[in-house]
Amino acid sequence: MASARVPLDERQVTEPGPLGKEHTLPALHPDRKEDRCFVPYKPPPENGSPAEVEEFLDHARFIMEDLEWLLALPHDKFWCQVVFDESLQRCLDSYLRYAPRSLDLTALPSSSAMAEIQRSIHKEVFLTFLRMATYKESKDNFLTPAVFGEIIYDNFLFDIPKILDLCVLFGKGNSQLLHKMIDNIFTQQPSYYSDLNETVPTVLQVFDSVLEKCGLRCEGATAMEPMKLNAYKQPTAMTMSQQELVDIVLYLCDSTTTIHAFLDIFPAACSTFHSHGFLSRLTSFYETTVPDLEKAVRKRNFDDKSLQEDLWKRLSHSCRKMVETAHLLLHHTCLQPILEGRENMQTFAEELLQHFTSFLTEKRFLSDYDEVFPLSDDISLLQQALPVIDETRTSYLLQGVESAWESVGRRKLPNPS
Amino acid sequence: MSPPRLTGALRSFSHVSKKEDFSNNPNDLKTKRQKRQELFANEGLTWQKIVCFCTEHQDKAKNRAASQELKNLLLAAKQIVGSEHGQEAIQSAAVFLFETFHNKDHVGTEETWAIKQMFGPFPATAAEASCNCVAQLVAPFENSHVEGFIQTQSSCHNPQQRSSFGCNIVFSYDCYALDPLKDLPHSGMHMENTSLEF
Repeated sequence: MASARVPLDERQVTEPGPLGKEHTLPALHPDRKEDRCFVPYKPPPENGSPAEVEEFLDHARFIMEDLEWLLALPHDKFWCQVVFDESLQRCLDSYLRYAPRSLDLTALPSSSAMAEIQRSIHKEVFLTFLRMATYKESKDNFLTPAVFGEIIYDNFLFDIPKILDLCVLFGKGNSQLLHKMIDNIFTQQPSYYSDLNETVPTVLQVFDSVLEKCGLRCEGATAMEPMKLNAYKQPTAMTMSQQELVDIVLYLCDSTTTIHAFLDIFPAACSTFHSHGFLSRLTSFYETTVPDLEKAVRKRNFDDKSLQEDLWKRLSHSCRKMVETAHLLLHHTCLQPILEGRENMQTFAEELLQHFTSFLTEKRFLSDYDEVFPLSDDISLLQQALPVIDETRTSYLLQGVESAWESVGRRKLPNPS
Repeated sequence: MSPPRLTGALRSFSHVSKKEDFSNNPNDLKTKRQKRQELFANEGLTWQKIVCFCTEHQDKAKNRAASQELKNLLLAAKQIVGSEHGQEAIQSAAVFLFETFHNKDHVGTEETWAIKQMFGPFPATAAEASCNCVAQLVAPFENSHVEGFIQTQSSCHNPQQRSSFGCNIVFSYDCYALDPLKDLPHSGMHMENTSLEF
């Protein structure tokens, strides 16, 4: 059927109008949307009263029923609903905002009924976003790629925070599908790269705000006038309230996990982060904040020891994620081009060595980085790809690594190989 | 309250997403139920058709009994939907109850949830009463006859047979877990590292 091979955005349909008389209209038209009234998602209540549990279950059942209905719609009707039904967009957005992350303090719903329906919604939401990220569903059902790009961008079907939420909620087990989705979104709508570029400074501000909360970034330090001696003293990680410390560690844990999940799933974003000097900001943040927060978690008096243990795990997990993020950035922006033998290999090698050199002053970061990703491995790869690398410089770097381990009072385990 | 999140900060402080107000709307569920009732009322099966089906081709005595059960069903529907609603809403609720209970002999969990999703909290006695009424109403007929009547009248029972998007996709429920770099050093808890070297 030749006419069926027309993209949805160019198709016309003839169907009964509100008064029963047939009329022709674009296949993608607000009049073709069903008045379904999706309800927003509410997270499972923590130790909720029976009434709160009931309220959650009521919302969840409606969402489940509506998303099942939505996914069963034919291609044209699905897109009419997605584009023109604001209640659906709010429902999906509310899920991304409020769905419990696996790393939240209380991620698991307290009853099996809540857990079961939460699991079902989780899958349906993912499938809905997957369908929304697919411009070609079959030979006959597709959108013009450029129009698809406009639709998803202009209607905020996807935006950078939503993409990050998708990564942290679904990325662990569905990374390949998510990679395809995000790659498709960025390819068909390059404006997302501009949005990402606009978002990275806000991500950096999040780190700054953690520093500030921990009293590690003195407001007066950058001001024109010297600070008065009796100026207001900012609380530190040791002196702030326990709840504030918990919030900071949770915030850090969420932020580092989210950034890492996104860059791991969509490495093409590494260059945008890199262009904002993200790596050096991350390493200096690590160097300044981690020892302070670790000390606070270790030495403050916690009535609840399990909370202390939990905070430590989250902080240490955040450290791993920051180290892994640094490695992803170095790998995708410097090392990978060298290993692929791209042009300007020498420039990439120089940049990589400069980064390693800058790590030498961040001793705590360097020793942790080296523990997970031995610098000697990367230097060895570099030497194999570019035998002209100055050996004095690489030896200096490796000595710097040894000295970093010593200065943080740790001993490097011998390489198992 | 949801814990602090990176994406929450990005939504608040960057200009790349739509600003949405997610303040709690207590009428969400009420509005949804009203919408659902409206959609159900347009699905094809009407109270008049049920009355016709239950009273046609029956002798006088059975007819009178059926009429009484239909009245009782309306009464139970009124209790479930709320007495402030008009006749149309009550009849539509009775249709829903007839559809729900036509092949059931008791009010099970599934039926309870179905009624609650449609009308909100309801008196259990009204559900029991409507279940009994429907059982009495369909008793003179073969099951297949009742089933056939509902199938032909109600559009929701004749959905286009199409597979749902994603039914072949292998979805993983795996989620990120804490992966600490190192354990909490117990020896250092609550005390300063005191050097013993003098």
